[in-house]
Amino acid sequence: MRILLAEDDKLLGDGLRAGLRGLGFQVDWVRDGLAAERELRAQAYAALVLDLGLPHRDGLEVLSTLRREGHAVPVLVLTARDAIGERIRGLDSGADDYVVKPVDLHELAARLRALVRRAHGQPHDRLQLRGLALDPAARQVERNGQPVALSAREFDLLHALMLNVGRVLSREQLEQHLYSWGREVDSNAIEVHVHHLRRKLGPGTIQTVRGIGYLMPVDPALA
Amino acid sequence: MTSPLASLRGRTTLLVVAMTSAAWFCASIAMWVDTRHELDELLDAHLAQAASFLVIREGGEDEELEHGRGATLHPYAPRVAFQVFQGSELIARSPDAPATPMTGLAAGFGNVTIAGAPWRTFTARNDERAGRVIVAEQVASRTSIAMAVLRGSLWPMLLAMPLLAVAMAWATGRGLRPLTQLGSALASRSPTALDAIVIERAPSEMRPMLDALNGLFARTGNLLDSERRFTADAAHELRTPIAGIRAQAQAAMTVVDAQARRHALGATLQGCDRAARLIDQLLLLARLESGAMPEFAPLDLCALARRVLADVTPDALAKRQSLEFVAPDHLVVRGSVALLQALVRNLVDNAIRYSPGGARVCVTALQEAGRSVLLVEDGGPGLGEAQRRRLGDRFFRGADTQEAGSGLGWSIVRRVAELHRMDVEVDRSPALHGLRVRFAFPA
Repeated sequence: MRILLAEDDKLLGDGLRAGLRGLGFQVDWVRDGLAAERELRAQAYAALVLDLGLPHRDGLEVLSTLRREGHAVPVLVLTARDAIGERIRGLDSGADDYVVKPVDLHELAARLRALVRRAHGQPHDRLQLRGLALDPAARQVERNGQPVALSAREFDLLHALMLNVGRVLSREQLEQHLYSWGREVDSNAIEVHVHHLRRKLGPGTIQTVRGIGYLMPVDPALA
Repeated sequence: MTSPLASLRGRTTLLVVAMTSAAWFCASIAMWVDTRHELDELLDAHLAQAASFLVIREGGEDEELEHGRGATLHPYAPRVAFQVFQGSELIARSPDAPATPMTGLAAGFGNVTIAGAPWRTFTARNDERAGRVIVAEQVASRTSIAMAVLRGSLWPMLLAMPLLAVAMAWATGRGLRPLTQLGSALASRSPTALDAIVIERAPSEMRPMLDALNGLFARTGNLLDSERRFTADAAHELRTPIAGIRAQAQAAMTVVDAQARRHALGATLQGCDRAARLIDQLLLLARLESGAMPEFAPLDLCALARRVLADVTPDALAKRQSLEFVAPDHLVVRGSVALLQALVRNLVDNAIRYSPGGARVCVTALQEAGRSVLLVEDGGPGLGEAQRRRLGDRFFRGADTQEAGSGLGWSIVRRVAELHRMDVEVDRSPALHGLRVRFAFPA
């Protein structure tokens, strides 16, 4: 899951990036409001972690601009101010969740997963599809009750596809989802991961839409 | 129950009643004196007239005076008496008159005591016929007339006095109502309420007190606001390094890669140092703003600056900056060692922090026109006019927040400079093109 972290504090930003990466997120880190807006326009992120006290452009401004432009990315606001008024203002400006510093890394990760899940209309954290179960928190996948060993990339790819069941995701979209900045991506990396997933989960699980991308069908018979 | 004198109302009422009584008392005395005087004149005239009449009568006809009737003529009859002499022989007298002459031979008014009571007499003589008439009147009767007159004026006053007291008590109570209102407004006030007290139609005498009270509320409010802001700001500023420490520590626990873990642990330590420094700065600032006057003593500014510069040299070296100190051997100023150390430390810290790698930071101490001057210059980006004005605002940091400053350094610097009565100038360094800060000690 690729998220954008907008935090001006060096120590906190660096720590959150390292911690969230350790928990399986792909994290891009920007340190001011303008950079955050720029990145959000350029890339597809599963969620945005937004500090309110950003230089150049305040977090709340970034948020309202984003929403005005119709950007639906789930936003988790991170701030040192816990005044009720601030929280209400934040939520009214279009934030989906609000966390006061200092934040627990695991809580932040759980909230991010919940935000992303809700953004995809999933009521449960655990994603299920025809005997396949994916637990984003534990990063575990089971097939017919049996655990399946997946690499981190394979897991992220499956997660993205299961969050978007019935929708086609292009290779670029999947790449954006899997890799943060500065990672060299082989042109056939996605193909390779899909290949491995098919082998581990069964051939019909992921379907190729030639020239467009990949999807997990709601009903394999209709595909 | 408190004494009536304890209340303004009781006091005013008592005072007014007492003053009124005193005034009435004086008026009564004046009236008494006046009445007595007028009465004496009138009755003396009557006495003289009666005597003259008797003298004439005595000369005209030889008429026996009826002795028995005199006593019943009038209630005042026993209080008046007369004697008629022919030569030394008493030829006629009123029933109460003694048989012996009431006065001597001299004509005119006199005062005698007969049977223990004072009498007023008038003697008229008819020297042609050796006749003498003495008319006398008891002084007590005059007193009782005057008393009666006085009583007539005293009664209404005695009746009016309690009414006056009640009216006064009511009127003062009403007049003092704004005070009562103020009292209840103050009593029902919550300790956090610091808005102005408004009393409808407050009398002009109360205005100064009300204004002073509201002024006090306003000042207390400002002080509280600034304290509250400081606490909130401090909490906010502490939260960020603590959040950083927490994130780094958790990252260290979460990541598998050994190098990443070392990095996170190192950052955790950095965060602790930063938080500790922030707390030191906050405590120093709180002490500086508490208003307590630090102890001043003569000290060597050059030695002090050298010590501080030695401390921060490693930071400058880490950024490959050159740190220069241009100063005479000694420069004695009056001040607090701890505070001036904090001032120099903060300034040089800032200069190193906000100047790029390889830049120059120059500290100069010199004597100029009898004043000791300290200059700190750097080769950093400097500050714009608007930013320079905001220097010293608590927690204000320049636009480049890449640096982990506390935002308190300049608040401390400004306060220390104020306490030392130093003149502070901030401008662009002509030599290094970055920020130049100039402190001039008082001459």
